[in-house]
Amino acid sequence: MKIAYYPGCATHGLSKDVDIATKKVSEILGIELVEVEDWNCCGGGFLDEYDEKAHAALNLRNLSTVERMGLDKMVTPCSVCLQSHRLAISKYDENKDLKKEVDTKLKEAGISYQKKATAEHIVWILVKDVGLDNIKSHVKKQLTGLKVGAYYGCQMLRPEKVMGFEPAYNPHSMEDLIEVTGAMPVKFPMAIACCGFPLMGSNPKGGIRLAYNVMNSAKTMGADILVHPCSLCHLQLDVTQLKVKAEFNLQWTMPAIYVTQLLGLAFGLSAEELGISKIAQRVLKEKGII
Amino acid sequence: MVEKAEEQKNLAQLEEQEITVKIKRFSKEKGSWWQEYRLKVDRFTQMTEVLRRIKTEQDPTISYRASCHMAVCGSCGMKINGEPRLACKTLALDIVKIYNSSTISVEPMDYFPVLKDLVVDLDEFYDKMFKVKPRLYPDKDVLEGKVDHRLKPEDQRELWKFEQCIWCGLCVSSCPAVRIDPEFLGPAAHAKGYRFLADPRDTIYEERLKILIDSSWRCTYCYQCFNVCPRDVEPVTTIKKTRAHTKFMKEKTKVAETGEKHIESIVSSIRETGKLEEAKVYLSTYGLLESIKDMIYAMQNGKLKYALVQDTKVKGLDQIKKIMGE
Repeated sequence: MKIAYYPGCATHGLSKDVDIATKKVSEILGIELVEVEDWNCCGGGFLDEYDEKAHAALNLRNLSTVERMGLDKMVTPCSVCLQSHRLAISKYDENKDLKKEVDTKLKEAGISYQKKATAEHIVWILVKDVGLDNIKSHVKKQLTGLKVGAYYGCQMLRPEKVMGFEPAYNPHSMEDLIEVTGAMPVKFPMAIACCGFPLMGSNPKGGIRLAYNVMNSAKTMGADILVHPCSLCHLQLDVTQLKVKAEFNLQWTMPAIYVTQLLGLAFGLSAEELGISKIAQRVLKEKGII
Repeated sequence: MVEKAEEQKNLAQLEEQEITVKIKRFSKEKGSWWQEYRLKVDRFTQMTEVLRRIKTEQDPTISYRASCHMAVCGSCGMKINGEPRLACKTLALDIVKIYNSSTISVEPMDYFPVLKDLVVDLDEFYDKMFKVKPRLYPDKDVLEGKVDHRLKPEDQRELWKFEQCIWCGLCVSSCPAVRIDPEFLGPAAHAKGYRFLADPRDTIYEERLKILIDSSWRCTYCYQCFNVCPRDVEPVTTIKKTRAHTKFMKEKTKVAETGEKHIESIVSSIRETGKLEEAKVYLSTYGLLESIKDMIYAMQNGKLKYALVQDTKVKGLDQIKKIMGE
C-alpha cells in the first residue's frame, strides 16, 4: 500500500518521535509512506485566522503535489494538519467567493489542484485500510496489564461533517487499536475534550488548565498512561507535561504516548527505538511492559 | 391520495419499535436520579414528541422545554446519549440506529445550572449574548429616514451563516473554554458579535472591538461549537475572523497581545521558510526566559534533542511568497 506522507512541522520538530514511530510501524505493516515532495506548513491551525485564502491555498499546494506524485491519498499523523487540509478542501468546495480568490493565488504560483487528492489520518488508515486483524497478526508482545486511556482530542473528530471517519461523540478507533495490543483500553470523560494546546499561543494558563483536566480525568478512571492521535497533543501532553505537573503541584504523572508508539511496543520495538519519553518509560517499566 | 396516506401509515406502523428512555431527573427537594420510561415510536418520532408523550401519558411531573418543534425557537437543547442536540431535530430511531441500542439517555445540557429535570438556567448565556450588543446600530441619517440601508450581496453572503443562531445554548454547554475562563464570552456570543462587527451598516465598530477582541483569544479551537450547532453557524470560524481585527485595536490586553505576537511569528516563519519553526515562534511569543523554562521541562523528559533539529526550508519558496502575499 503506497500512500503520500505528510509529517507536518511539529512531527519534524519537537514531536519527532511521532514521526519515527509512525514510519517504523508503517514499515512493519507494509504501508509504503512516500513523503510529500517539498511540502509546506499547513498553518498549524492558526493561519486561517490571519488569512483564510492563503491558508486554503497553502494546503491545496500540498495536495496538488500529492496529485503530481500520482497518488490520491495523503496521510498525516497530526490531527491539526489533517483538519487544516480537510477544512481547506471543504471551504474551497463550498465557498464560491473564497474559491475565486484561492484560484487566483494558485494560478499566480503556478499550482493546479484537481480535487482528486484528499487528506486522511494515520489512525483511519490503520483501522480501515490495514485492518485490525492484520495489525493483530504483527503483535509479538501482548501489552497485558497496561491500562491505557484512549484519548481522541479534537481535530481528528470535529467537525464531524468535514472529518467524517467516525462519530464525534461515539468514537472507538483508539479503543480498537489499544485492544489489538493486548492492553486494556480505558474510557474517560475528557477523552474528546481539548488538551489546551491551541490556547498556549494566547492564554497559556488556560491551556495548561485544560491539559490538567484531561490528565486528571484519565487518572481518575484508573489509566496508567494515555494514548493520543496528534503531534500537537504530543507537545502539550508529552513534551511539556512536566510543566503541567509543576503548575498544579502534582505528585503523579499521566504520560502520553502517540498511538503508533503503543503499536510499536506491541510489535516488539524498544522504547528507545520509538523515542518514548522518560516519564512514559518510567510507567512502562513499573508495569513490566519494557 | 387516501390510499397513499393509508399506505404510509401502514409503513410507519411496520417500523414501530419499543424503546427505553432514561431521563436524568432533578428537583431541589429530591436531588438527582435516573428514571426509565418505555414507549413505542416510529421513524417520524422526534425526541420532543417522545418527551411529550412521556409527560402526557406516563408521568406529568417531568419538566422540559420545547416549543416550535422545527429547530427555530432554540428551546429544546439537551444531551441525548451524551451528545448535545436539539430534541426536536433528533429522531428517536436515528439514535437507536447510530448507537445500536434501543435505550436512549436524555440529560440536561452541561455547564448550565439545572433548575428541574431537563430545564436549565440560561441567565448567564443571555447575559453574555447581550454583552455583545446583539443589534445593529445604524447611522443617524438612516434613523431619520434620510437614506436607506444598503448591503452588498457579497457582504450579505459573509454574514448570512453567522446570523442563523437560535440562542439554544448548545455550543456554550459543550465549550471547554467558558468553563475555565470567566472572561471568555463563549461561542454563541462571538458568532453574534462578529455578525455585527463585520456588518458595514453598523456604526459602533470601535466599541465592538473592545468587547470582542480580548475574549476572542481565549478560545481553544476545539471545534465543539462547530460540531454541535444545529444551525451550522460555525462560531469558531467567527472567532478566527474576529481575531483578524486585532490589528485595528489600539490598546491591547496581555492575552490579545501574546496571541497576536504568536500568529505574526507563525506568518513570518511560513513566509521565510514555508514551515513553522517551533523554536523561533516560541521565542518571539513568550520571550527568552519563558522559552528556556519550557526547554528545561522538555529536557527533563528527554525531548531536548528534537528541539535542536532544524527542518529544511521549502524549495518552492517563491510559490509560498506568492500565496502569502507581501
